[in-house]
Amino acid sequence: MSHADRATLVAYWLGELDESQEAAIEEHYLGCAECSAQLAEVEALADGVRRAFAGGLIRAVVTPRFVEQLRSRGLRLREYRVPCPGSVNCSVAPEVDVLLSRLQVPLEGVERIDLIVGDRRFEDVAFDAASGEVVVAPSIAYIRTMPAYRNVMRLVAVEAGGERVLGEYTFHHSPHS
Amino acid sequence: MEGDLARRIAEAAPRIDAEAEADLYRRLAPRVRLYGRRHLRDDEEAYDLMQHVMIATIEKLRAGEVREPERVVSFVFGMCRMVTMEMRRGDRRRDELLEKYGADLEIADIAIAPRLDEARVAACLERLAERERTVLILSFYEDEPAERVGVTLGLSAGNVRVIRHRAIEHLRDCVMGKGGP
Repeated sequence: MSHADRATLVAYWLGELDESQEAAIEEHYLGCAECSAQLAEVEALADGVRRAFAGGLIRAVVTPRFVEQLRSRGLRLREYRVPCPGSVNCSVAPEVDVLLSRLQVPLEGVERIDLIVGDRRFEDVAFDAASGEVVVAPSIAYIRTMPAYRNVMRLVAVEAGGERVLGEYTFHHSPHS
Repeated sequence: MEGDLARRIAEAAPRIDAEAEADLYRRLAPRVRLYGRRHLRDDEEAYDLMQHVMIATIEKLRAGEVREPERVVSFVFGMCRMVTMEMRRGDRRRDELLEKYGADLEIADIAIAPRLDEARVAACLERLAERERTVLILSFYEDEPAERVGVTLGLSAGNVRVIRHRAIEHLRDCVMGKGGP
């Protein structure tokens, strides 16, 4: 077989190829310096993403199903389920692995949501319409450095005719004592 | 090239061509480790598989038991599949083989790509579009295929692959230096 492109190597890494495609790629890269180097790069990027998230270094919008995967791996989760609109007092204990803001919101008919945090706007965040919530995993490493502060998140539906606010959520953070 | 080295090892027997063995090990071992990482999803098990497959391959070459040494890559591929199956079954024979032959072989240092700095990866992830970041995390945290990621996001598998491909290209350019933080 000829060299595999990166998209195919990623598909292979994630187990998306059928048995015969997989065998062909494996027999190829075991003998190919170029493709095995590209595959090593895919492995390194995947590993980097995993460690950046596991280390709480990035903020990300995730899904309820992903939260269950984290729970089933035995990670210690601190979840704040916030009604719409609503506010919570929050803090992060040292033993917590992942911090989650579970923003309750009616999502019927919504096609695109932007998340606004302070003066920053994050466009087109991921959500599962059936779940009735948007799940934000803030950077726990960053939050741990913060003194007491108030943080407001807003969810905005972006529609053909303009925008409408879906919900506003206030977090009163205090450092763990 | 791997075939030439395998032939040298086979033809040298009963003498040991240490240089050819080290070179073959250096070339193939990192690739075998990748195979192990992909199938066993565990760093230590992947390393065990690598050692076992490479030691067994060199031992078979020395003993003249590889029929076509120039096709050593196919032989290694077969060994990878067999040892992976054994490891999944919890077969302990591989440990005995490692004990028996491991000490006889001079294992060459191999170049396993160093891990990326997660702070740099995090800074680059911050630069991605929201959905790109989400798709990468959902895909790579537990090595999930596009179908499964799509179900959780209400997207088709094809759509997930498009977003994922774009995200990987952006992330790679950033982490590897092109437009990095």
